[in-house]
This record gives sequence, structure tokens and C-alpha cells, in this order.
Amino acid sequence: MKRAAPLDTAFGRAAIQLTLVILLLAGWEGGVRAGWIQAFLVGSPVGIWGELVRDVSNGSLFYDTGITLYESIVGFVVGTFAGSLIGLGLWYSRFVARTVEPMIVAFNSVPKIAFAPIIILWFGTGLTSKIALAISLTAIVALIAAYQAAKEADPDLQSLLVTLGADKDQVFRKVIVPSALPGIIATFRINVGFGLVGAVVGEFISSQHGLGHLVFTASSLYDLNTVWLGLFTLMAIGFGLYFIIDLVERKSLPWKLDSVRQDLRV
Amino acid sequence: MALPAALPTLLPPPKLALRGIAKRFGATPVLDGLDFEIAEGDFVSIIGPSGCGKTTIFNIIAGLLEPDAGTLLYEGAPVDGLRGRVGYMMQKDLLLPWRTVLGNVVLGLEVRGMAPREARDKAMDYLATYGLAGFENSYPRALSGGMRQRVALIRTLIVDPDILLLDEPFSALDYQTRLYLEGVLMEAVERFHKTVVLVTHDIDEAVALSRKVVVLSHRPTRVKALHDIEIAERSPIGARSDPHFSGYFHALCSELDIQTKRVQP
Ligand SMILES: Nc1ncnc2c1ncn2[C@@H]1O[C@H](COP(=O)(O)OP(=O)(O)OP(=O)(O)O)[C@@H](O)[C@H]1O
Ligand SMILES: [Mg+2]
Repeated sequence: MKRAAPLDTAFGRAAIQLTLVILLLAGWEGGVRAGWIQAFLVGSPVGIWGELVRDVSNGSLFYDTGITLYESIVGFVVGTFAGSLIGLGLWYSRFVARTVEPMIVAFNSVPKIAFAPIIILWFGTGLTSKIALAISLTAIVALIAAYQAAKEADPDLQSLLVTLGADKDQVFRKVIVPSALPGIIATFRINVGFGLVGAVVGEFISSQHGLGHLVFTASSLYDLNTVWLGLFTLMAIGFGLYFIIDLVERKSLPWKLDSVRQDLRV
Repeated sequence: MALPAALPTLLPPPKLALRGIAKRFGATPVLDGLDFEIAEGDFVSIIGPSGCGKTTIFNIIAGLLEPDAGTLLYEGAPVDGLRGRVGYMMQKDLLLPWRTVLGNVVLGLEVRGMAPREARDKAMDYLATYGLAGFENSYPRALSGGMRQRVALIRTLIVDPDILLLDEPFSALDYQTRLYLEGVLMEAVERFHKTVVLVTHDIDEAVALSRKVVVLSHRPTRVKALHDIEIAERSPIGARSDPHFSGYFHALCSELDIQTKRVQP
């Protein structure tokens, strides 16, 4: 048995992480005060704190955060759900799947962000266009992953169902969907990020509210403290969503974790 | 065997008959016209060299593959395959990893549309009978190889199929577990009067369990010999100690060209 480092505990790691962040912020603030760093170009922690207090007390930070969260979550949920469903559905017909596969690949190879201007044109400058953008980013990822996962379902398990007398729908429900589920759930982590990208980029292009709007307008005014406030808030949102997804993943696939969890040291 | 024309109408047709079944994969001929019959309530073992097409035969009987030529007769009538009528236990245990033991056992009942409550009760009965009570909520990955195989066997038996197709069901198990599961199988077969076809690599197992052994040749595969096994004792251990056992064993070994004597340099 190797002895673990004494700081390698949940508490120890948190203490180290906190110390590092504090050191970074202190160095930043100190650098600004000493004149080594130009506050005009990078802002300062104390200035960011001031913005935070102001935007929290007038409620605008919550409002902007709510807008962006709403756009990205709706986009993520609808896009991932619809994409997964279509991807799984392609399992039903090899003919259809093979026909559309190159089109999907072609569509996927365009940086989807490039569609942002037309999506704004079609869906207007309100929330709908941001949701549409988030959907277009997430749906394709989910579709490809779900289709791939469905294709890779063990043919022997499918045969087993057939010998038991199952029809195609039963094979789909009892083998294809459950065996594709881990692959589909794995896209949630990526797609949560893409949902946020869609919302924020949409807000950059044209919007009245949201964190993307906050960051974009502040940076055009060289208000770096507000820019950082927006970025840190986005970071916090991303972080929170990631944890929720992690929880969903562990709760929805008990058969993957259940029982013996080995502590393998390599 | 050509029977007099009048006779077949007097005898009941065999449960299952293969007539000239042939199959090739690409350029490789695998089955080269197979003929054999399985009577109702019979226990038939198929032995043959690895890769000679034993699994392929099962896939054809189960309706997963179509033969290139030949017919399959079920109770005298030609059929395409016995989808939904056979209990096919494949070479791998093929438990669904996302289902618990109980979920795996009820699979076949579920496919047949049995009410969940009824299916569950029946499954719990079977699990108790076969010594798996208390494991109904475990996932397959938490089970030992022998337990997994037992679950697969229960899943096959519970749907009460006409014919059991068992493809090397016990080959991955240690000798003790194998003897135990052979006993479980024999007991179930006698109790429910099942018709069984068993593929095995193990001549010992073939002699101990079956009443008839079909020996296959190398590819392209034909039936090389048919042996009736007349051993009164039906338990796996009892049969192995029967005085006739070693006679059958050596006969089948030489049929498969297995060298039982040391080769002289
Ligand atoms: N789907 C397939 N496509 C191409 N070749 C196949 C396919 N299935 C089986 N074969 C070939 O047919 C032959 C017979 O295969 P099969 O699995 O029936 O053998 P087997 O007698 O069950 O062998 P084993 O005893 O090792 O299980 C092998 O040479 C195999 O490579
Ligand atoms: Mg085989």
C-alpha cells in the first residue's frame, strides 16, 4: 500500500484550490495598485467586486443570468432530446440512415456559429433566436452520438430478443435504447456547454439582455470590470450545470456504477 | 435411411428434422447438406471440430439465418425457422447489463406480453427454485460466471419453449459448477419433458447428458456419425460412472480423430 499525500483529501484539496485563487486575485490587485498592470485593459478584482455589488443590488445581474440560463437550458433540452430521438430513429431504417448520413456530416462540418446571423434574421432579436441557435448546436451533436450508439448495440443481444419472439419495436425499446443511453448521456456534458455558447453568441449579435449582452456592451465601452463579472458568472453557470449533469449521469445509469467500484491504481 | 413408403404415415413425425441444410459464408462452404432428426422429448448433443458450423446450425434453426438450401421440418411441416418457439441459450450468457437479474429473467415473458405482476411472480418462483433468491435486484456484473449462466438458463426455461438449443452453455465454467448446472438442466428437462439440442466441445458432457450424439465432420460439414447412448443413469455424475460410459467416450474420441495415444516420434 502506498501512503497518500496528507493533503490528498477533499478538505486538503479544497484548501489548496482556495489558496491558489486567493493568491492569483491578490497578485492581480497588487499588480494594479503598484502600477505594473493597467487597470484600464484588465480591470481589477476590487473593481469587479464593486460591479458585482452594484449589479446584484439593482437586480440586473439576476435578470441577465436568468435570461441566458433560460435560453441555454431550453436550447440544450430541446436540442439534445430532439437530436437523440432522431439519431435513435435512424436505427429503424438502414436505407434512410445511409442516405442522410453524408448530409449530416456535411452539415456538421460547417462551424454552426456561422449560422448565427441567418438564425437571427429568421427568428428575430428576442429569446427565440438564441434558443434556436442553441438547439442547432446541440441537436447535431446529440443526433450523431445517438445514431452511432444505436448502431453499436450488440448484435447478439438483438438476436437474443429475436429468438424470444420480439418484433422490431421491442428490439428497439429493450436493446437499442438502453444500450445507446450511456452514449447519449455522455453528450449531455458537451451539449450543456454548447447550449451556453449558442445563447451567448446569439446575445453578442443582437440582444437587449443576457450575460452575452452584458459582456459585449461592456467590452465595447472598455468597462473591463463588468466584462469580468459577466465571464465569471458564465463560469459559475457552466460549473453548476456540469455538476447537475454529473448527478443525472450517475443516477440514470445505476448498472454502470452499482456494486463493486474498484479503486484501481495504475 | 430409406423407410418403406407406408411406414412414415404410421409414426408421428419427428419434432424437428433437418433435410439437406446447406450454408456458405462468402466463398467458404460451411454446412454441406446436413440431415438429422430430433424426436419429441429427445436429448441430442452435437459435437464437431471448432468452426465446423455448430452455432450456424442453431442460428438456422432459431430463424436468425436462412439456409442456402435444404428444409427445416417442424412436426412434419416445413418452416422458415423457429423464431419465438425455441429457447436459445447462446455461447455467451448475453445478460442485459442494464437489467437486474429479475429484469433479465422476465425478458421473454415481457416480449410475449405477460402482465408485469404475473411475470414477476413467476420469475421469483424460478429464481427461488434455482437457488438465486436474494439476487433478484443484483446487476449481472456483480454475479459470478456460474450465477450468470444460471440466470441465462432460467431465462431460457421460463418461457417454456418447445425446443431448447444450448450452445456450449457450460464451457466457460469450472468442473464443479458445470456438474452442478448439468444437474440443474437434467432435472428441468425431465420435469418439463423438454426436447433439447446441446452443442458441446466436451465429449464427456455429450455422453453423460444425451441419448443421441450427432458427430459432425470438418468443413464443409456433414453428419459423420450418429450414436445412440444407452446409459440408464441420467444424473451427470451417475452417468459418468456407468460401465458403458468409457466405451462411448472412446468411440466418440476416435470419431473426432482425437489422438488418445501418445504419438510416436
Ligand atoms: N456471419 C458470418 N460471416 C462470415 N463467416 C461466418 C459467419 N458466421 C460464421 N462464419 C464462419 O462459419 C464457420 C462456422 O462458424 P460457427 O460459429 O457456426 O462454428 P462453430 O462450430 O460454432 O465453432 P465453435 O465451436 O468455435 O463455436 C466459421 O468458419 C466462421 O468463421
Ligand atoms: Mg459456436
